[in-house]
Amino acid sequence: MSKIKIKSLFSILTAKLILFLSKRIFKGGSSFPGKVALKFDSNILSVVAKNYKVILVTGTNGKTTTTSMIYNIIKKSGNRVITNSTGANMLPGITATFIDNYKIFGKKKPAYAVIEVDEANLKFITKYISPEIITITNLFRDQLDRYGEVYTTLAKIMEGLENVSGAKLVLNGDESLLGDLNTNNDLCYYGFNVSPDESKLVDINADAKFCKKCKHPYNYELITFSHLGSYICPNCQYQRPQLKYAVNAITEMTPYYSKVIINETEIIINQPGVYNIYNGLCAFSICKEIGIEDNIIFESLRNQASHFGRQEALSIEGKEVKIILVKNPAGYNQAIDTVSLDERAVSVAFLLNDNYADGRDISWIWDVNFEKMTSLEIQQVLIGGIRNYDMAIRLKIAGFNTEAFKISEDFDSLLGNIKNCPSDFVYILATYTAMIDFRKYLHGKGYIKKLW
Amino acid sequence: MELNICHLYPDLLNVYGDVGNILILKYRAEQRGIAVNVLNCSIGHTFEKEKYDIVFFGGGQDYEQSIVSPDLINNKKHLLQEYVENNGVLLAICGGYQLLGKYYTTPENEKLEGLNILDIYTEGGSNRFIGNTIIHNEEFNETYVGFENHSGRTYIGDLTPLGKTILGYGNNGEDGTEGCIYKNTFCSYFHGSLLSKNPDLADRIILRALEKKFGVTELTPLDDSYEIKAREHILALAKS
Repeated sequence: MSKIKIKSLFSILTAKLILFLSKRIFKGGSSFPGKVALKFDSNILSVVAKNYKVILVTGTNGKTTTTSMIYNIIKKSGNRVITNSTGANMLPGITATFIDNYKIFGKKKPAYAVIEVDEANLKFITKYISPEIITITNLFRDQLDRYGEVYTTLAKIMEGLENVSGAKLVLNGDESLLGDLNTNNDLCYYGFNVSPDESKLVDINADAKFCKKCKHPYNYELITFSHLGSYICPNCQYQRPQLKYAVNAITEMTPYYSKVIINETEIIINQPGVYNIYNGLCAFSICKEIGIEDNIIFESLRNQASHFGRQEALSIEGKEVKIILVKNPAGYNQAIDTVSLDERAVSVAFLLNDNYADGRDISWIWDVNFEKMTSLEIQQVLIGGIRNYDMAIRLKIAGFNTEAFKISEDFDSLLGNIKNCPSDFVYILATYTAMIDFRKYLHGKGYIKKLW
Repeated sequence: MELNICHLYPDLLNVYGDVGNILILKYRAEQRGIAVNVLNCSIGHTFEKEKYDIVFFGGGQDYEQSIVSPDLINNKKHLLQEYVENNGVLLAICGGYQLLGKYYTTPENEKLEGLNILDIYTEGGSNRFIGNTIIHNEEFNETYVGFENHSGRTYIGDLTPLGKTILGYGNNGEDGTEGCIYKNTFCSYFHGSLLSKNPDLADRIILRALEKKFGVTELTPLDDSYEIKAREHILALAKS
């Protein structure tokens, strides 16, 4: 047994016991064991994370998928690697992840830890861990009652970077808020040299369109979506930094995958939509930085499976059903673009909840461009969730034909509507707790095998 | 018939989904066969007070609001003031509402000049007022619901409130008022969007504009069954 304080050991053992029990009894992840461990030893994270090369993934959108992509690539490369399960991205959950993997006896072999971190929690993690790499995916307006504004989020992330000048930052170069960060860290940027739709005009309702240095509106050489792209301020010349990793061509975009050229390497990202190209590009960049070879990255991203409400595909009575998690306007708009790639006759379910994890304020649905969907051939519009009627109003005002609406008050009727809808393909766009609850319900009905 | 809706700084004051108010006004007018033009008025644009029938003034993030302030005070203040005094119809939400007043202080105690169009002022508060809200307007005998999220405490002096709070904090958490009305100017902290669950208020705003421009005093009713159900969901929160 290596040198370890009695207090830490007690903390680890207690947490391990609770972890064991909670896995057996509750059959799911929980941050509770981490909370208990931190009570006994507030310093416990630095003890249990000591032998890991840590990669932290934060930012508004894409954290879970990017984390999973990096994890899979490292695993495929033959290195030992651990990761935190979704929903456990704050200090207690992350602590529990490390404790769960902690071996009290025996030699601790070097391993990677790929950890998704909530933006506001980064500073609590970097207090105890010195990561190899930190990545910031993007910054969009999120649930404003929980996170505040994008500049507030950025300030919180910057606080988290203060203690870790040794970490390399791998950043989204297309995110204008992340240029010229004023840190001593090594950094490298990734981004797009081509746009999926030749777009150069930023949407009037997007965030961060005004120079973060001199407040003039940016010009864009290209925009991928929302405010992401190659920007330059015509007044002070602040512009996108040099990209080390760039998407130089988009060869194919389907409802199932995208094929792109990153630098000179062809990559197939087995998840649809521009936002998943960003996730794949971020994973590619990080794995190149830690020295993994192209062919391993290629093989892993090509087989990247979706999970847990991120483009998860199910079969319900012969219908192909896809669940897409939607949390904020930028993510929702991307989900809409992804559904738009599908040329088949589809039905779409819109599930809106207002629990704490969804954001209590549902006003943000008015910032989503549902108007864009009215040109699609949607056979039936299924509406559900706690705030189903707010969703119905939003879609009515967007110009949807209300005669195609089927509004559900509960999951039984929603499931019935899915089974009875005229199309063979159904997309479910659901907020966080709507997704969690409906998955649990479907699990109970036998339509989902693995709940977590 | 045709209405021109002016959206003030749509590229800068555009958070909390308040743009929904414009979409709703447009929808409800068009359902009555009234054509609607939405005219954007941002940095460097002239505020054409004669042209607009309804003006929408939303709130922004602090950074964006700091970009708006000088343009507003240097280029639009007097035109906007004349518009309001001349009974122009205006809907202001959250940050827009605060800017119409004499001043507002930030939570860091920085005093920022307002437009001084309304005799109101806003003080910064340490905690935010966040949550679902219900108010009642006695004069119209109407109940409105929404979601508030603000740290500013607004004091409306002698002005009529938009409603008395039944659930939530309202203007300042002290005097039981929410929002204010001055002539044809309606102010509120409500997001949601405000008009999404308050079709009676949406129609009141449309009607004020139509009355002023065309002398119209009545609107054909619309099917508001979704709006009523959504409002009932919030009303039920006060009972639970």
